[in-house]
Amino acid sequence: MLITCPYCGPRDVIEFTYQGDGNRERPQPASQDLDAWNAYVYDRLNPAGDHNEIWQHSGGCRAHLRVVRNTITHEILSTAFARGGHKSTENRAEGRS
Amino acid sequence: MAEPHLPERQSPLEPEHHPGSHGNFEHGVDVILSETRAGSILQLAAWPGEEKRLIEIIRKVTGLALPDGAGGGVNSGARAVFGFAPGKFTVVDEAEGLAQAFAGSITPAIGTLTDLSHGRTAIRIAGPKAEWVMAKFFAIDFALPAFPLGAGRSTNHHDIFAQIQRSGADQFDIYVFRSFARSFWKALCHASEEVGYEVQ
Amino acid sequence: MSPRRTETGGRIDRLRTIRFTFDGAPYTGHAGDTLASALLANGVTLFGRSFKYHRPRGVLSAGVEEPNALVTVLRGEVREPNIPATMVEIYDGLVAVSQNRTPSLAWDIGAINQLGGKILSAGFYYKTFMGPVIGPLKGTRFWMFCEHFIRRAAGLGKAGTAPDPERYERMNAFCDVLVVGSGPAGLMAAKAAADQGARVILADLEAHFGGSANWSGETIDGMPAADWAQRMVGQLGGNDNVRLLPRTTVWGYYDGNTLAALERVTDHKEVAAKGEPRQRYWAIRAGSVVLATGSFERPLVFPGNDRPGVMLAHAAERYANEYGVLPGQRIALFTNNDSAYRSAVALKKAGAAVVAIIDVRSDISNEMRRMASEAEAELLAGHAVVATEGGKALTGLKVQRFDAMSGSLSGDERSIHADSLLMSGGWSPTIHLASQAGAKAEWDPARQAFLPPKPTQRWIGAGAFTGSFSTAEAIAEGRAAGLQAAGGAASSAPLPIVEAVPGDPDPAPVFEIKAKGKSFVDFQHDVTAEDVRLAHREGFVSVEHLKRYTTLGMATDQGKNSNVPGLAIMAEALGKPIPEVGTTRFRPPYTAVSIGSLAAERFGDLKPERLTPMHDWHIANGARMYSAGLWYRPMIYGLAGETVEQAYVRESKATRESAGIVDVSTLGKIAVQGPDAAAFLDRVYTNMFSTLAVGKARYGLMLREDGLAFDDGTTWRLGEQEFLMTTTTANAGKVMQHLEYFLDVIWPELKVTVTSVTDEWAGAAIGGPKARVILAACVTGTAVDNATLPFMGIVHGRIAGVPVMICRLSFSGEMAFEVYSGAGYGTRVWEALIEAGKPFGLVTYGLEALGTMRIEKGHVTGAEIDGRTTARDLHLDWMLSKKKPFIGSAMMDREGLIASDRLQLVGVVALDNRPLNGGGHIVEELDEANPHDSLGHITACCYSPALGKYIALALVKGGKARHGTRAFVSDPLRNRFGPIEIVSNHFYDPDGSRMHG
Repeated sequence: MLITCPYCGPRDVIEFTYQGDGNRERPQPASQDLDAWNAYVYDRLNPAGDHNEIWQHSGGCRAHLRVVRNTITHEILSTAFARGGHKSTENRAEGRS
Repeated sequence: MAEPHLPERQSPLEPEHHPGSHGNFEHGVDVILSETRAGSILQLAAWPGEEKRLIEIIRKVTGLALPDGAGGGVNSGARAVFGFAPGKFTVVDEAEGLAQAFAGSITPAIGTLTDLSHGRTAIRIAGPKAEWVMAKFFAIDFALPAFPLGAGRSTNHHDIFAQIQRSGADQFDIYVFRSFARSFWKALCHASEEVGYEVQ
Repeated sequence: MSPRRTETGGRIDRLRTIRFTFDGAPYTGHAGDTLASALLANGVTLFGRSFKYHRPRGVLSAGVEEPNALVTVLRGEVREPNIPATMVEIYDGLVAVSQNRTPSLAWDIGAINQLGGKILSAGFYYKTFMGPVIGPLKGTRFWMFCEHFIRRAAGLGKAGTAPDPERYERMNAFCDVLVVGSGPAGLMAAKAAADQGARVILADLEAHFGGSANWSGETIDGMPAADWAQRMVGQLGGNDNVRLLPRTTVWGYYDGNTLAALERVTDHKEVAAKGEPRQRYWAIRAGSVVLATGSFERPLVFPGNDRPGVMLAHAAERYANEYGVLPGQRIALFTNNDSAYRSAVALKKAGAAVVAIIDVRSDISNEMRRMASEAEAELLAGHAVVATEGGKALTGLKVQRFDAMSGSLSGDERSIHADSLLMSGGWSPTIHLASQAGAKAEWDPARQAFLPPKPTQRWIGAGAFTGSFSTAEAIAEGRAAGLQAAGGAASSAPLPIVEAVPGDPDPAPVFEIKAKGKSFVDFQHDVTAEDVRLAHREGFVSVEHLKRYTTLGMATDQGKNSNVPGLAIMAEALGKPIPEVGTTRFRPPYTAVSIGSLAAERFGDLKPERLTPMHDWHIANGARMYSAGLWYRPMIYGLAGETVEQAYVRESKATRESAGIVDVSTLGKIAVQGPDAAAFLDRVYTNMFSTLAVGKARYGLMLREDGLAFDDGTTWRLGEQEFLMTTTTANAGKVMQHLEYFLDVIWPELKVTVTSVTDEWAGAAIGGPKARVILAACVTGTAVDNATLPFMGIVHGRIAGVPVMICRLSFSGEMAFEVYSGAGYGTRVWEALIEAGKPFGLVTYGLEALGTMRIEKGHVTGAEIDGRTTARDLHLDWMLSKKKPFIGSAMMDREGLIASDRLQLVGVVALDNRPLNGGGHIVEELDEANPHDSLGHITACCYSPALGKYIALALVKGGKARHGTRAFVSDPLRNRFGPIEIVSNHFYDPDGSRMHG
């Protein structure tokens, strides 16, 4: 499987670390809402189809990415930096695909 | 705070560094392996939106103008710079003390400077079979159109994290963690045996 | 001249004789021969014994699909079993042996299994050996009794036990177009793509490119097809953007158009060149793939179809045309389609007598009738073979009238004298890679074959792979596929002209002749047509179940011959059409792949390892090294004659009495920099760091999001916006990822950079009553007295002329200092400290003494922060700030995490003065025969020189409440039982007076 890192271009999945379900919302740090914390820490979506995931390009630029992946076909539909602000460099990524 | 009289640093490769020709070299040596022993290896990071200012500072201090785009870089021989992650750059000087040259110019508003001169080991592979040998280690495309001159790449070989700059048409500089350097060097020598290699 | 070698023809080099042995007997062959062709040329008919019944077997095919002629190749002490003889290129000195026979191939004691054929039918093992134990020799226990004998009797080749000294390598490749298969379709595709300027890789599992062109006898562009193929290969080879990979099997098709291939680099060579790997594992990322993998001829299923001398028709044609070998002198053919007629003509031309063509079809075209005449063969239309005769070689066969519509036999049996029977049951496209790539194959009723599915990845099919079995179609499809794959426009330029014999590609839908006797479907696993029907009768209706129950298609050839006939027989038994029965999905690998090629360089000396800057000093000074993850660390610096325990006791005693020094360079070190660094650390650690003064360090604890303890370490404030975090050695990578995750995903607004600087700094911890005077003796540029360097203070100075950073902190419980210098100066500083320590009795100590002293102090490490313990369990609740939220703060007070019966950290003293073991259980009542009711377990243990006792840390229910009580250690695995006392984990200097000085 290849994941196209917005910085590094398409790379082997072995360079990446799965960092969990990308649909989770972390409660405010001071929140005492245990149900919300429980949902954040333990609940994971497991759709058969398109799924929002977080991957880290741990064997490359180390950026965390928001990845939309089809869990049936393994097709990667989109990738983007999890941290905003840095310009995406999709031109190069496309040029190298 | 210049450090003019510091002793020579110990190379992590020492016991495994054997100058001369090795492997299947009777028909010629197709790669040359060496440690560049760069004096300064720095990591510069810009906060989002501050990349342009950081690139300008790099130009002022080193005289190297970074080309646009992810992984862009330039290598002048004595100095080198390349992007390896969003907003992050590796800057290298054959002389020690480059960190002091940057001190003061990288303000907290722009980003950070981390001195990795001891922590990273720079290994150079050069020669007509450099791409072939590199392809044994890294799952990235080393062909010139895909990996242009001066450009940088972050990748890994098993647990060995590597930043790679193409410093010549058939030459690459590989920056690895110091603790892994000897292990990686041994593997690199081993992988170069079939093409014949020379250690300088 | 060998008995079966033709006078001329083939691409073997008759001037070069090659000597090899098979089962110890010397043979000769020619350069270009495979082991199979060379042995056939020598008149060898018997190649192996079958898996279950030990039936004699010959060679069935000429290629990778070979199920019978499996051999073991010996190279020195190394055995490689189960290699098809058809894929072994002979070289001088090759040593091959046959398999699954005792004592010899010709006289095999296991052949007695043939008499018990009824008993060894499908499911024999399940029925006989599974289930409840009734009586002494039934069911599972019976299996355990019989296993030894069965394992000896059944099976294939035996793996060797000698270590494999060969070199294996991995190679990463990128290309625009990967062409798999180098027959006419693949050659055309590669050429067309290369002419477009694309980067092309052409891979073929055979030694010579050309595929069927090498033996078809056809003419392309006015020249023999084999010559045309060589010309194409020559043109491709001269092209800089083409990489030719012969002997390279593409065995896996993975997501993202990533393919795996195995190149057999030196298997065909007598001696490898220096540094040349035996095999290379290619990981290929291809823009597009052209699948031109051809097709397999299918066997027919009839009684005695496994007798040596029965062969696939095209294989015989190939042996004759490519290797100049005739499989027999009197040849009969048995077919359900036209392709065998060409084989008949080819063998006639090569010098064999073709005695008969037995065709299940009664209606034969005039063209085929003409070809039968050309072969001077008697044509028996509407007939079928019902039996074969002979022992270790075929002597004859019996035929009967056959009705292809009803499958019924009639009339008298007629005997035909022949030493070779060639069969053709139609052709199956080699769709394995397309199937692996994701979609389901589709049944084509005309071709009676599964055709490749619609692509789900970026591949294009060409030639026989698509069911287009003629060379002219292959050439046209190949060029079109190559152009399309390279992004070029379709071409209207003229194509090479093919002169080939005509033939209808569609066979009659006949797979099996039902007559008395064993009819094999899967030759390699000895599965018969009757086994398939038995499975059906016993209720196995799914093709996946059928496969597992009968083991059809589960041998090393993965059903390359047996798949379709097996399905057809199953479909008939079920009364369903084949497409409704379905096919199993092909999975990687396409052929057997050596484990060595997958392990490649991550093996032995080439395994990545991490060394500290002082590594060579440790080795030179007698350290026994210990691998901690990838790191190598001194375990002890043993003196001559010392045991490990004696060494660490000496080292820790000397440290507590005078001073000791230990390499702590492996501790994880992370630079945390930026305007928000302090605020970030406040969120990451349970305790405060924003209040830490510059030039001071603080011990910190991290929790996970779920509130459990994660990691601990000291963090040093080097500047207002600059911290140096240390982590445990084992968790350095995990902590780094944890920090990066929160900065990238949760708090992207924080301006913080985190960088691994573990390798930037060499670290030496020097501790003990004399530590300060030793430092004072070698440090310049700073004082190290209590006022300048208080507990948790940091100073900068120099040792041996190089800058150092010194922090006063303690893990050993003694007054201690961590001295950090640039890694390139690590040994220099270390040696200077050793030298300065000489007058003060400084010792070097390793991990064992480090562990001993930390156990005596009751400090926790990864053994206690094990992912199940909380800060409270470890008595670290004093570190949980109430002034701020931090990672884990919301979840750490959940009911289950604060319950009073949780396992908590305690100390344990052995009352019988014997060593304790990590993992040993703590119990209230000792019951050696029936250990029960564990209160907890030991996490770390040692002999404590400070206490003069065997002690341990343990996690025990109730924790502090049990201090001063007695219990027992119960460790049945190591037979260690005995009385203990539970005490505080702070065994030694509990008020810390020694380290505070």
